[in-house]
Amino acid sequence: MATFFEQLINGLTIGSFYALVALGYSMVYGVMKLINFAHGDLFALGSYLGYTLLVASSSWVTVHFGLWGGMAVAMLFAFTGIGLAGVLMERVAYRPVYPAGRLSLVVSALGMSIFLQNGIMALWGSRPQAYPAAVVPSARFSLLGLPVTSLQVVILLLSFTLMLVIWFIVEKTTFGAAIRATALDRSTATLMGIDVRVVIFFIFALGPALGGIAGVMNGMYYRAISFNMGWTYGLKAFTATILGGIGNIPGAMIGGLLLGLMESLFAGYVSGAWKDVFVFVILIAVLLWRPTGLLGEKTAEKV
Amino acid sequence: MGITENILKRVGLRANKPSGDQPATFWSKNRGWLVLAITGALFAAYPFLPFITDYWIDVAFFVGVYALLGLSLNIVLGEVGLFDLGHTAFYAIGAYVTAILNTTLHVPIIVLLPLSALIAAGFAYLVTSPVIHLKGDYLCIVTIGIGEIVRLTMINNPFNLTGGPNGINGIGGPNLFGLAINSSTQFYLYTWVIIGIIVFGLVRLQHSRIGRAWNYIREDETAAEASGVDVRTYKLLAFVLGAALAGVAGNIYASKQMSVSPQSFTFIESSLLFCIVLLGGLGSIPGSILGAAVVVVFPEVFRQFASYRLLFFGLALMLMMIFRPGGMWPRKREGTGLEGLGIRGLPTKDEDLILVGKPDLAILKPASTAVVRGVRLPPVTVAMDEGMLLQTHGGTLKFGGLTAVNNFDLNVRSGKITSLIGPNGAGKTTLFNMITGIYKPTSGQIDFLGRHITGLKPHTIISYGIARTFQNIRLFPSLTCIENIMSGPQCHAQSGTWAAVMHTIAEVREERHIVATAAYRLDQVGLWKYRNELAKNLPYGKQRYLEIARALATAPHLLILDEPSSGLNDKESEDLMVLLQALVKEGFTLLLIEHHMQVVMGISDWVAVMDMGQKIAEGLPKDVYNNQRVIEAYLGKEDD
Repeated sequence: MATFFEQLINGLTIGSFYALVALGYSMVYGVMKLINFAHGDLFALGSYLGYTLLVASSSWVTVHFGLWGGMAVAMLFAFTGIGLAGVLMERVAYRPVYPAGRLSLVVSALGMSIFLQNGIMALWGSRPQAYPAAVVPSARFSLLGLPVTSLQVVILLLSFTLMLVIWFIVEKTTFGAAIRATALDRSTATLMGIDVRVVIFFIFALGPALGGIAGVMNGMYYRAISFNMGWTYGLKAFTATILGGIGNIPGAMIGGLLLGLMESLFAGYVSGAWKDVFVFVILIAVLLWRPTGLLGEKTAEKV
Repeated sequence: MGITENILKRVGLRANKPSGDQPATFWSKNRGWLVLAITGALFAAYPFLPFITDYWIDVAFFVGVYALLGLSLNIVLGEVGLFDLGHTAFYAIGAYVTAILNTTLHVPIIVLLPLSALIAAGFAYLVTSPVIHLKGDYLCIVTIGIGEIVRLTMINNPFNLTGGPNGINGIGGPNLFGLAINSSTQFYLYTWVIIGIIVFGLVRLQHSRIGRAWNYIREDETAAEASGVDVRTYKLLAFVLGAALAGVAGNIYASKQMSVSPQSFTFIESSLLFCIVLLGGLGSIPGSILGAAVVVVFPEVFRQFASYRLLFFGLALMLMMIFRPGGMWPRKREGTGLEGLGIRGLPTKDEDLILVGKPDLAILKPASTAVVRGVRLPPVTVAMDEGMLLQTHGGTLKFGGLTAVNNFDLNVRSGKITSLIGPNGAGKTTLFNMITGIYKPTSGQIDFLGRHITGLKPHTIISYGIARTFQNIRLFPSLTCIENIMSGPQCHAQSGTWAAVMHTIAEVREERHIVATAAYRLDQVGLWKYRNELAKNLPYGKQRYLEIARALATAPHLLILDEPSSGLNDKESEDLMVLLQALVKEGFTLLLIEHHMQVVMGISDWVAVMDMGQKIAEGLPKDVYNNQRVIEAYLGKEDD
């Protein structure tokens, strides 16, 4: 039972990283119909930004704001930095390619991803870096008789809060309606007086920024970060997005959490080496059963 | 025309036809041969050039391996437009099959060359056939998943077969009838000879009905299916062929490296292949080879920048897509003339083709005979009402709780024009979609020519003789007009992949028949002079005619037109009526959805009226015109 609980908490934690990255994927896809393959690398960049802030000014940030305060500052830094990077990326790599069609966009996204990954390597080196123990909160306590770390609790609480906020913005606010309208039909949205440029700006800022926060949390949780971790997380998050139904906000959250849970339960009870195979087999099975993902809408093509 | 010249023409290095006023020089007459000979000589001489070291010969060898992979992905991604980001899986299968069978059972490498291809192809068939119906991005993630599953399986070393993360060492080299291939130069030549053979086959496929069918699917899947292309089969064929070529590349790679390991088959590798195809130009054979050269040579040239080289590479990919989104050597379809189609034995004057394609009207006339145009149709089993070509009995289609078509009996009399009218949203197009197989009826029965066609696939129904056009025109936009129409005779064609590669007599004859039929129909609708223009460049009205010509080219008994006059002005509508009446004279039966009352009343022999999914009236045009219920359906009921 203790193992089960451990795997459950672990799965939910990883799942919430996936979910946050998947949210960004899904938001960008929903509006732009673009699979942003560089999204995972922005997540990695977020990890490095947080790391740099904490290490470079470790004494200062941690002394001034405390452990949790330092973590919050690092997240805010990554959030802002990656948000800016996201907007910049859209301007530089995607906007000029839109007229060329979707396949060209994929290549541009892959180019961006290679660029970012090697940029990180050039700046921080190819060897993995570690978040120093001194900046990571590590208090353990027992919750209903089961052991958890305070970091896990904070990660879960914060991730769920962020997901709720995003869900609220997209589903319940006027601006969210503008986002959804743009996702459904861009030209009609423009005709209805929606400034599509603002929507795109917002999507490319917020989506990656969430990944930036996830990057810092991931760094805190696993401590080790490496320049190429974006591929793995990007791929997993993309899988989660599709699993939930691409372009669907609650779908991305559910997909991410489910993926994390399946992964860690399978690793705990069956085999760690085959866990990713299991995940992809499940994904394919789900798509055979529901070709547009768990929450994806069935779209009959009009002929 | 020599084979060589033929190939060169098709890859785009066409010799210009010597025009009448210029005397044909030796150069212009034999340009195709010469270009091929020079290219071949350059390739053969490359390793013997004084400044070329073994290192650069190996680079050229790897360009070859990636060219092969690029060509193999180009079939799936470039020709059919399937989003495959896991193509490395098939490459890995080929390499591991070679490694395992060579190191354990000592099967010679040269025997494993075809065997790797075969096993990779079989694997592709098994894993893609359940998921081939998935659309765009969903298929993409599945291919990524397949790629990852294969790679992880290799790492996990099942049954001690794959050697785990370290892979397998000690693979032998190929031995060609006693000649062992082991030096860099030998491997280089061996690989490029194989590529040469494969390119020959691919060029021929590209210019056959197989290649065209792939392109139709890429351009518009629904329109392709509705023009008689068996979409599922052609997609699977692309995957199987692509995997076979990737398997060949895997075999060559494994025997050169003498070892394989999972690191060579990552997702990054798959995305590089994707970039190769896009860099070269979708569906372009020389483009894929050029793309491979860039992807392999670029990092080599920038080696002095060490870790920055991939940074530049990423940048270069983005810049390429911004400044040359079509790729470096895109396949040009317009402006190559009919010769660009690569069909042998066409008349020297294009116009003569129209006469060749003129159908024998005597054969077309009696639309009720069982065997027409050599198509093997199932035997007549259903008794239909006298003189009827098509009948629906209680045709019903429900979308969830909504009944779009309710218990509809439609009768289409042979050799006549029947019109289906009704307010917007009445369910007319839905009924058409049921008849042509795009939707499966919830209940009811559809009979055509004495056969049940209820629930058959669109490409089967069209081969029985029902062709259609779409309300919102669906052409193959980036193909030429003649290529668009050549999709029509596709549904009656028999030649397979092998025949297309070998240019068998029957295949060549069939291709000539296809292009001639297309030429005749193109001329019939007055678009002959646009034959080499891309369909998307035609004005709207002409696109409608092109679509009608494409439907006619399937040699149907029944032609179903969905709002043919929409978007046409009065003059154009009158021209259309003239054409439709001429078609009836030729022996076609017509069924129209039409809103333009002048057209309906002017040419219809029979009119059925639909409202809210139900038939509310039918009869002669003038009777329907004055029917109270019909007027109410269109104009609403007056309040008393």
